[in-house]
Amino acid sequence: MLPKVLSKDRFADFVARLLGGGRVFAPVAKGPQFAFAEIAGPDEVSRIRMDYDISILPPKKLFMPQRETLLTFKDKGPEGVRAEVKSQPTAILGVHPYDLHAIATLDAAFSKGARDAYYLAKRGATTLIGLNVKAPANENQFAADMNAIDPPAGGYDLFLTDLGDRYYVEISTGAGEALADDDMFTPAGAGDHKGKRAYDAAKAAHFTRKLPYDTRYLPELLDVSYDSLIWEAAARRCFSCGTCTNVCPTCYCFDVLDKLSMDAHSGTRERIWDSCQLEGFAVVAGGENFREERPSRLRHRMFRKGKYIFERTGRTGCVGCGRCITHCVAKISILEAFQQIADQVGA
Amino acid sequence: MAKPRVAFHDFTSCEGCQLQVLNCEDEILGILAAVDIVNFREAIDEKSEDYDIAFIEGAITRDSDIPRLQEIRQRAKILVALGACACTGGLNVLKNFRGIEASMKTVYGEAAGWYETSAARPIDAVVKDDAKVHGCPIPTEEFLELVKSVLAGRTPQIPDYPVCVECKLRENVCLYHKGQYCMGVVARAGCKAWCPSYGGRCYACRGLISDPNNKAAKEILDEKGLTIQNVLDEFRLFNGVYDVAKE
Repeated sequence: MLPKVLSKDRFADFVARLLGGGRVFAPVAKGPQFAFAEIAGPDEVSRIRMDYDISILPPKKLFMPQRETLLTFKDKGPEGVRAEVKSQPTAILGVHPYDLHAIATLDAAFSKGARDAYYLAKRGATTLIGLNVKAPANENQFAADMNAIDPPAGGYDLFLTDLGDRYYVEISTGAGEALADDDMFTPAGAGDHKGKRAYDAAKAAHFTRKLPYDTRYLPELLDVSYDSLIWEAAARRCFSCGTCTNVCPTCYCFDVLDKLSMDAHSGTRERIWDSCQLEGFAVVAGGENFREERPSRLRHRMFRKGKYIFERTGRTGCVGCGRCITHCVAKISILEAFQQIADQVGA
Repeated sequence: MAKPRVAFHDFTSCEGCQLQVLNCEDEILGILAAVDIVNFREAIDEKSEDYDIAFIEGAITRDSDIPRLQEIRQRAKILVALGACACTGGLNVLKNFRGIEASMKTVYGEAAGWYETSAARPIDAVVKDDAKVHGCPIPTEEFLELVKSVLAGRTPQIPDYPVCVECKLRENVCLYHKGQYCMGVVARAGCKAWCPSYGGRCYACRGLISDPNNKAAKEILDEKGLTIQNVLDEFRLFNGVYDVAKE
């Protein structure tokens, strides 16, 4: 499908077109930072901040809400149980390439083995409008090292690149094609293609590589660093507060809780985001905790990001967005850890 | 099976946590269908000393409180500490650091000698409690969770992780990013990060989690420019009962 061009004069019309198809979420300001929020109607288009640097929570919150009802139950036995798989047509506007990569990782994780109906129903009802980004949000980002500055193939419906007075629009799916089938979109010409090339060249220059090695060596470097002292050193300041995993676009662990009604025999089963960093995460029946110490929990997260998720899904567990570093009150850095392990071989 | 009989008692407190019980407006009728409330001076005139479950609000701040509390413990099958004052001593413990005589003088002036007082303590410093509902005031959801769990005979789901978890789930901008500071990194969650969500900061009114990284908390507060005294004051406001507030 050949790229098209959307004039910024028609951006409001484009949002109105998205609103015609369902709910629209887009980046908006939240104090000095940004968050994906619902754009309730055409009069709210001015809230949309296509110039946002990065959102606090990643878009995963729209496929896997922080709290979600899985089923309702009443009385004993299966007759009173009703599953609550819910979804509604939703467009997410302005998803940066690293977050598109993260969504592709989540798609793989939730489709593997027992498919997660709750996630996949919401994901299936979602249109992804990606947005190119020319420079890192801050010094914590290392998306180039994680091969996540360009969108994943097929990992979006439309992908916009800001060329000043217009967006260069790449189309990757049938849904995207249908969306772009309107006179607000015009075919891209030579000048537009050149503009896109120049944008990506500038982007490659801005996103410098920060790891001293190619990430294909990351899983093995982690392996040989399993007993390194760097985990203990980093964990000294760790609060085990779970912020790193909550803001991570690829973390998907959850807890399941039964909430009772006052009659004590009906209620709801809910899932909430959980975190391997919390002390109670690895407590099993009988009270044994197989990751009781802070350093082992911190190491586990780094291994999930650099090794385990890749081995499990074939897709990267870390996209280098840097959120976990930015939001860590103790300033613990996965980037620093990944840099430090380069020297662990034979140490 | 007869409905469990429930009593509310208070010691040194503002009784705001009992008011929170009355604030469970949508659930009050459900509670009354499930239990008999036989002693609750904030809501009813009747008084009975025959009960199964006792909720205790308030800290112990007089030696004469002790036999009263022990008697409640003997009567109740289940004893629940309700709110910060009962769970950690709450704000009352501040007077232990100021000096009890100085505090008495500030509050009662010339009449200080008329009143009995002692160091403030939480309920579990005097008798064993079976459960705690933390907070200043208690979140109504946690009170309801406890009541439902007692009725169903299961362990209540009370968070034992920092307030940061719930604050991030609400996608709040971190106070440390706004150049401010907050006790959320060591404070027990369960409040849905009330204060940081409405422009305040966390004072750790729900006590500390069971494995707080206090050393790191002192370090980051120090990096925010707080003096040692400021840092201790942060811990003492609601958590003077913990060792971390003492040195």
